[in-house]
Amino acid sequence: MSTSTAALLAGLVLLFPLAGSALCGLLGPVLGRRFVNLAGTLSIGAAFAVTLVIFVLVLGAASGHQSVTATLWNWLNLGGGNLNVSVDVTIDQLSVLMLLVITGVGLLIHVYSVGYMEHDDGVARFFSYMNFFIFSMALLVLAANLVILIIGWAAVALSSYLLIGFWYERESAVLAARKAFITQVIGDVALVIAAFLIFVNLKNAASVCTPTPSTTCSIQLALSQNLHTLSLPQIFANAISLGRGSPLITLICILLAVAAFAKSAQFPLHTWLPDAMEGPTPVSALIHAATMVTAGVYLIARFHALFDLAPIASGMVACVGMGTALMAGFIALSQVDIKRVIAYSTMSQIGLMIFAVGIGAYAAGMYQFLLHAFFKALLFLAAGNVIHAVHDEQDIREMGGLDSRMRITAWSFLVGSLALAGFLFAGMFSKEDLLGFGLINGPGSPALYIVGIAVNVLTGLYAFRLYGRVFRGEPQSDAARNAHEARAVMLWPVVILAGLSAVAGWALQWPVSFGPHLINAFLNPVFTSAGSGPIAKEPGTGLGLIGFFIGLICSLIGIGLALRIWVRRDLNPAPALARPGLRLLPRLSFRKLYFDELYDALLVRPTRALARGLRRVGDPVMDSWIKGLSDVATDFSAAFRSAQTGLIRDYASYMVLFVLIFTIAVMVAAGIAK
Amino acid sequence: MLSQAMFPWILLTAGFLFTLGALGVLIRRNPLVVFMCIELMLNAVNLALVGYSSFLSSEEGQVFAFMVIVVAAAEVVVGLGLLTRVFSIGRELDVDDLDEMKR
Repeated sequence: MSTSTAALLAGLVLLFPLAGSALCGLLGPVLGRRFVNLAGTLSIGAAFAVTLVIFVLVLGAASGHQSVTATLWNWLNLGGGNLNVSVDVTIDQLSVLMLLVITGVGLLIHVYSVGYMEHDDGVARFFSYMNFFIFSMALLVLAANLVILIIGWAAVALSSYLLIGFWYERESAVLAARKAFITQVIGDVALVIAAFLIFVNLKNAASVCTPTPSTTCSIQLALSQNLHTLSLPQIFANAISLGRGSPLITLICILLAVAAFAKSAQFPLHTWLPDAMEGPTPVSALIHAATMVTAGVYLIARFHALFDLAPIASGMVACVGMGTALMAGFIALSQVDIKRVIAYSTMSQIGLMIFAVGIGAYAAGMYQFLLHAFFKALLFLAAGNVIHAVHDEQDIREMGGLDSRMRITAWSFLVGSLALAGFLFAGMFSKEDLLGFGLINGPGSPALYIVGIAVNVLTGLYAFRLYGRVFRGEPQSDAARNAHEARAVMLWPVVILAGLSAVAGWALQWPVSFGPHLINAFLNPVFTSAGSGPIAKEPGTGLGLIGFFIGLICSLIGIGLALRIWVRRDLNPAPALARPGLRLLPRLSFRKLYFDELYDALLVRPTRALARGLRRVGDPVMDSWIKGLSDVATDFSAAFRSAQTGLIRDYASYMVLFVLIFTIAVMVAAGIAK
Repeated sequence: MLSQAMFPWILLTAGFLFTLGALGVLIRRNPLVVFMCIELMLNAVNLALVGYSSFLSSEEGQVFAFMVIVVAAAEVVVGLGLLTRVFSIGRELDVDDLDEMKR
């Protein structure tokens, strides 16, 4: 693929959703619902078609030529070449994989939205925001320049904010949107600081670093000029100049990781994701499950050249990811809002991805991302059908017995739950694959793996608790008794995603069964070409098989327990949990480990108290002397007051008049002087 | 780099936008629209600054344009805050109606 082709195709992928957003937003309210439905979905369809072309071109490219970086245009050029920002895009295996999910799953969810938003008056606004999200997410994954990456990074947070707060008459939605945005900004600031540090400190490694008898590499690096570049390929190629394992690169990587944690809802910046479920369900499926929240995983995978050099930061990432996976799985066990349960499962699954990229198994993390996008979008869309069917009820205690009333949705949800729990379908392959890497890689290697096994059990438990409570047993409310299946436009995307969840894992694994999967082979050139550090060791076939079956058995234990407790109801966990040592657990889980209360006590209340205190002290002080000043001014200006009409337009007119007179005077004076 | 021949057109565009904004400030009565017109004037100035910067091959104009953007943002923050207060005490938003300051 030549650079001009790459620039053209990438430009088209960006242009279609942006144009769709503008059309829906500007013309949508005038031209009506049918136009919005068409423009909003066709733009994403076109972007998907172009992405497929890119995919075919990348697949067909000769080995070593799959990665192309092209410049769309030069944006800023300041200070004699010191600060150049050009709009660069990279097309390689990683960005193509991301684009396929963003536009492909995005297209299905847009089609679904046509049905979901049928009775909502804000449909033009909705599709405008959704298209804008696809544009910003595409910009984020295509960016080959730090500034462009940051713009995409901030723009996805903006569209997430707009869509969480889509129903802005609801106070809870507005508060949730604000919470999400503030958390995102913490990550944005970390990312910008990391960018500054890279920009200031990066040196040119490639041209200087050939050891000569007199100087070693490190001396040459110390003497060489700072590079001052924002271009990602240059940064990755010269990453070694930041020093392997040095405090500087560790700091940069930790800042990058903080940005990733904020975006991917990882501990301790995770509390916004469950609240984000206030948005419409397609938004939860697209932004808060399939794409945006996995941007953190993408960021770390994209910056692997840096993380490979910073083992401390990578270890931290792995621990935080696995910790979040365990924590979120634990909380998901007792939540009663159908969307919040899925939100916590998302957090848990992304924790596993973060763990994978933390131990250097980047391809395994992206594999989990791909399959997770299918089954998690499926679960959310199916949940949307359920919520529609029971008249906007989200409490699973009011559902039950829906499998005979919504047969297709129920079967799809079952496929999604199995894929999530890691039995038979998608999750079985990706999760066991990445846990297999955890066996022999990462800090204190088997320890985190054992936590991962516990996460497996938890996943089976909460996935089938949800399935059992919603679809099996007796209906718990009139709404659930009278529920009926969703319309075709909302069923087809669900069925297609169910098909993908069921087939994708097998298809990608088929020719080599338990060996390395196709995604691994497809992506590995990206993660080795920059060629700085060691990538995670592959578990051998024997060890891989053992890990696979241990994981599978643990998933089955979780699923089996859940089926006995919530479907057959012949096992009651209550007596076991009433024992003194365990009594706290259900409460901790239900109250989400008290994180919201903790942040409220640590951050919100002190800030409010400070503001109140300052006001109590400040108001009298400020008022007294300001009052004095104003009295002086009032007395002094009594004479001039009559010129004041109090009309702003009069004042503005005087200003314009005198500026005109002054300008003419200067011009005349200049003419006389000449 | 822009061609030198385009420079007068940039200045003309900037002048046109500035006049448009100034007229809007003088004529319109809704303070929100007045604000937007002020933004238009500021952006016209920005355009002229960037145009000159390109014409003179000096980055100072571009840097100063950023200053203008920051000032514009600050101005909107203060202005919108004032407007929401005015609105919340139940006043109609009309610049001709808000004339208590003369008393």
